[in-house]
Amino acid sequence: MSVPNEDNTQLSSHFYGDLLDSIIVDVASECHRIAKLGLDHNLEEEEEEMRLSAQARARVTDPSNSGETNNKYVVDIFGQTHPSIASEIFECMNCGRSISAGRFAPHLEKCMGKGRKARLKVTRSTTSAQNRYSRGSPVSTYSPFSNPTSTHILSNGTPSVAGEEYSNGTYEGP
Amino acid sequence: MKHSVNRPPTPDAAEDQGKEPTLQEIINIKLIESGEKERLMELLRERLIDCGWKDEMKAICRAYIKKKGRNNVTVDDLVHLITPKGRASVPDNVKADLLQRIRTFLMSAAL
Repeated sequence: MSVPNEDNTQLSSHFYGDLLDSIIVDVASECHRIAKLGLDHNLEEEEEEMRLSAQARARVTDPSNSGETNNKYVVDIFGQTHPSIASEIFECMNCGRSISAGRFAPHLEKCMGKGRKARLKVTRSTTSAQNRYSRGSPVSTYSPFSNPTSTHILSNGTPSVAGEEYSNGTYEGP
Repeated sequence: MKHSVNRPPTPDAAEDQGKEPTLQEIINIKLIESGEKERLMELLRERLIDCGWKDEMKAICRAYIKKKGRNNVTVDDLVHLITPKGRASVPDNVKADLLQRIRTFLMSAAL
């Protein structure tokens, strides 16, 4: 028994309407949820924009602002402030000292580059030093210089220590 | 027999079985059981997103919510808001495609 054509069309329309109604309810429910949970930050958009532009205007016309680089509390487009001198502290991969981020470049200059003392550290056979990466330093895999502690030891020139190191020297260089 | 309790008569089981499920109900069950209904719904949903229909509906909802205030709106309000516009603004090719698929199913599920 085959379904006559008109019924067929009507039935299809009925089911199509059914599907569409479900989808409409889903969309409405989603919008309702977003609105109620306050997840839509653009909902109060106009007021927010007016407030922000008023703020920006005030900042621009403010005479006490001498310029962006001087003002420690200038705000970028995301509303974040950065202190003009970076204050994070971390370990220098060359000498192992704790260095402030803002002082890192000058420190590296001395530590790695032009200084008399720096040159001494590096000279002491860099190739053999590079074989001594092991010693558990996580930084050593990408540092252009070998394990900091081993170079320190090397610069003291103690042969016994160097010998010890060699026994562990099966570690591969980068 | 004491009629101490006024009770409507128990529905007659035989009477119930006399009601034939309508063609619509039968097909609906087939649609659901075969998983076709879900497939069709996902297809329609995807098409409506692709053609921007969903964004349109969401924009209408948001404008309404902005006007009324977000704590004064119910899901029902939104449904009634977007149903007429929603049904009317489905692109023709999307509607035609879905109708075609449903018709195909109906014919393959010929009773």
